[in-house]
Amino acid sequence: MPKNWKSFFIFGGIIALLAMLPLFTNRSDVLTWSCLTLQYILLSQSWNIIGGYAGQVNLGHAAFFGLGALTTRYLWLAGLPFPASLLSGAFIATVFALLIGIPAFRLRGIYFVIGTLVLAEILKVVIDTRFPVASVLPVETLLTYSLLPRYYLSLMGAVLSVIAVYFISRSRLGLGMMAIREDEDAARTSGVNILQNKLIAFAISTFLAGLAGGIFAFYMVAIQPGYVFSPIWTFDSVVIVFVGGIGTLIGPIIGSVFFVLLKQWLSLHLPGGLHLAVFGVLFILVVLYMPDGFIEAIRRYGKMVTLGRKPMVQGG
Amino acid sequence: MVQFLAQTFVNGINVGALYGLAAVGLSLIFGVMRILNVAHGEFLMVGGYIGFWLFKLYGVDPFVGLPLVGIFLFLIGIVFYKVVFSRVAKFHEEVKLKNSLLIAFGLYLIFPQIAMVLWTADERAISPAYSGQAFDLLGVRFGYVPLAGVCIAIIVILAMYLFLTKTYFGKSLRGTAESWKAAKLSGIHIEWTFMITFGLGISLAGIAGVLIALTQELTPFMGMPWTLKALIVVVLAGMGSIVGAFVAGLILGIVEAVSAIFMGPYTIAIGLLIFLIILVLRPQGLFGRA
Amino acid sequence: MMLEMDSLSKSFGGLMAINHLDLDVYKGEILGFIGPNGSGKTTLFNLISGLLKPDSGKIKLNGIDITPLSSHKICQMGIARTFQLTKPFAQMTSLENVMVGKAFGCTPTWSMREAKEEAEKILRFIGLGEKSMWRASALGVVDRKKLETARALATKPKLLLLDEMMAGLTPTEVEEAMVLVKKIRDSGITLIVVEHVMEAILGISDRVVAINAGEKIAEGAPQDVVRERKVIEAYLGEEA
Ligand SMILES: Nc1ncnc2c1ncn2[C@@H]1O[C@H](COP(=O)(O)OP(=O)(O)OP(=O)(O)O)[C@@H](O)[C@H]1O
Ligand SMILES: [Mg+2]
Repeated sequence: MPKNWKSFFIFGGIIALLAMLPLFTNRSDVLTWSCLTLQYILLSQSWNIIGGYAGQVNLGHAAFFGLGALTTRYLWLAGLPFPASLLSGAFIATVFALLIGIPAFRLRGIYFVIGTLVLAEILKVVIDTRFPVASVLPVETLLTYSLLPRYYLSLMGAVLSVIAVYFISRSRLGLGMMAIREDEDAARTSGVNILQNKLIAFAISTFLAGLAGGIFAFYMVAIQPGYVFSPIWTFDSVVIVFVGGIGTLIGPIIGSVFFVLLKQWLSLHLPGGLHLAVFGVLFILVVLYMPDGFIEAIRRYGKMVTLGRKPMVQGG
Repeated sequence: MVQFLAQTFVNGINVGALYGLAAVGLSLIFGVMRILNVAHGEFLMVGGYIGFWLFKLYGVDPFVGLPLVGIFLFLIGIVFYKVVFSRVAKFHEEVKLKNSLLIAFGLYLIFPQIAMVLWTADERAISPAYSGQAFDLLGVRFGYVPLAGVCIAIIVILAMYLFLTKTYFGKSLRGTAESWKAAKLSGIHIEWTFMITFGLGISLAGIAGVLIALTQELTPFMGMPWTLKALIVVVLAGMGSIVGAFVAGLILGIVEAVSAIFMGPYTIAIGLLIFLIILVLRPQGLFGRA
Repeated sequence: MMLEMDSLSKSFGGLMAINHLDLDVYKGEILGFIGPNGSGKTTLFNLISGLLKPDSGKIKLNGIDITPLSSHKICQMGIARTFQLTKPFAQMTSLENVMVGKAFGCTPTWSMREAKEEAEKILRFIGLGEKSMWRASALGVVDRKKLETARALATKPKLLLLDEMMAGLTPTEVEEAMVLVKKIRDSGITLIVVEHVMEAILGISDRVVAINAGEKIAEGAPQDVVRERKVIEAYLGEEA
């Protein structure tokens, strides 16, 4: 238990510090980056649940982010209180996930990847056609626009996602998800209900993705509806999760911080979207040479002994 | 009305042949190597732009440039195989599939950005003096360039088919596709086979890119849409089937052209939706064996 | 009678892997299940555990038809199995591997503490107690086989199907494994054991069934079955 207490204190301390960040600085660039980082933590953790823990490489994640964003934005601007709009957005994303989940999970391996990718593309095309005009905040809202509530909302979202992943990784649900990831037949014959488990993982994952979309919709002054459905959101999440460490609690956090910082830094020194190319190279290097991500490198460096790691030398 | 439909049909075939050509390379690589190269469209884009450069900078006629692009992309394919894909090619099935997918996905992040720098975001096209010319047959318009595109697609795919079924090397490729271990036992050099296969697949993508540049426009972000098109065609045809991929490409082109009349901007979405439904009901493809 | 198979058939393309097989398993026994390579033993396990569905025929567990049930249901009704080609959850620790069995098997639990305690107990019983914190991918072949058995035991089965758990073991390890199998039976679990090691089959089985090309060719006391001409011919035919 004492080890757990230590983690709790560190975690609580970080949250407290982050909550006080606006007291130390009112530089809007710092707040903006922090907002983005926190939102990326929420989004990448949401992908981590289905892709990292349950092992289902879902390349349609943008669809759920987009559904959450669009629903929240339109309900909110139509006059619904923001919290209700936000929850509705996440809820719609989840309902959609459950609807398509049953046919989607009939697809195995590569077909699931293609299927989810195409699904998001369909949604993007439809939304692009149906809502061609950008949604801009009305003047009254713009006059009172402040980064602070956006920042705290992003913080809450990120904390929620970390807590969710923490509990999943220590629960029966998480155990079942990991078993499915490792070997479906062995999981099945050990009593794991594959479809049910995948659907629950998918529901939680897409709820959080919808939430991330809703927060993004609250944060942005102007939104092009097609943009929130862009595959970029999926790809950013996948890159962050892999670079940080897939299927771990801390990996996506490290990945998000690194992603946003490097993105800011690169965009100062490189023209246009070249930072994406750098991430592409980095991503390939990680896949080839560091399949457990940065988190593993940090662990090794810090000589922290983790579960089942140390004896690997003996076991071969 | 009949003329209008016939024209739509012809337009559909013009585009569909390109879909087929784009898909054949993807299918070849998947069939032999079990690598799903979602960066296929990126290589296609590169081929198109190089054809564009040859034409714009050196005045090389695109149809002369076509084989040059083919050879160049073949070499590019070999380089990419050697530098990245060869590292995952030897893993066992599932790991290989997943890792190669992720690597290709990384390439997808890189290519458009580099293309932006080299060629800017402007739409480009290869437009030689004869590009708009056409002849009339029973009131249906046949453009010379699209027609040449269809012919070249057919020739290339036929050549590919003959190569795979009639030559020793082609047979060994197919052997590898059937069974990896058996191929190895019978003395087929896997590393070489994989390298050549990847080069060929990429070369096919490059050729398709030049033909696309002749009839449509090039942009740095055209890669993913074309990958999706090729994927759809390949899945419809059944993974690894060459002639099936061409036929499926034609079907997709025609269906899109016809449904564009009724569905307008939703055409693409409808096409994708039909594809998804087929994927769920018949994952082995329309022409694949159960 | 515990498990009852009634004219079970399964074919792959043109190949009849299991051909109208009738087989009964009695409560509390160790049934040795033998046959040359490719005779359909693993296929039968796949059918019983629901990974494959038979083309025709029925499987009954304590009188209940389990043929249409999905694998996880069958497991929860009390049938566990191991895999000939071991299928560990590679990136998880041995402990977590076994916890899956406990948490989702016949006596499922939501309490991770309970699952953990039970898993530790089983790992000690099987002789993997020291390696409970190892990742399964780090285990050697023999340990992987043990892990398979531990995970299956953790589901608290009434019937356990062991698929060649002794292949590749040294003679001493085979001895240990035989003792283990008997211990499992003594704890009240019925077993079907597929094994090519004849001494082991003779040493532990109460009864032996031999199949060839998916058909039952002999059944009875271990000593008698291995002496039957059909059985010897089947094995010899394989070597020729
Ligand atoms: N999924 C499958 N698809 C096609 N054929 C299969 C499949 N599974 C098994 N077979 C075939 O069915 C026959 C029986 O195989 P099975 O694995 O049941 O044999 P076995 O008795 O377990 O052999 P061994 O002693 O080698 O383990 C073999 O000819 C095998 O090739
Ligand atoms: Mg077997």
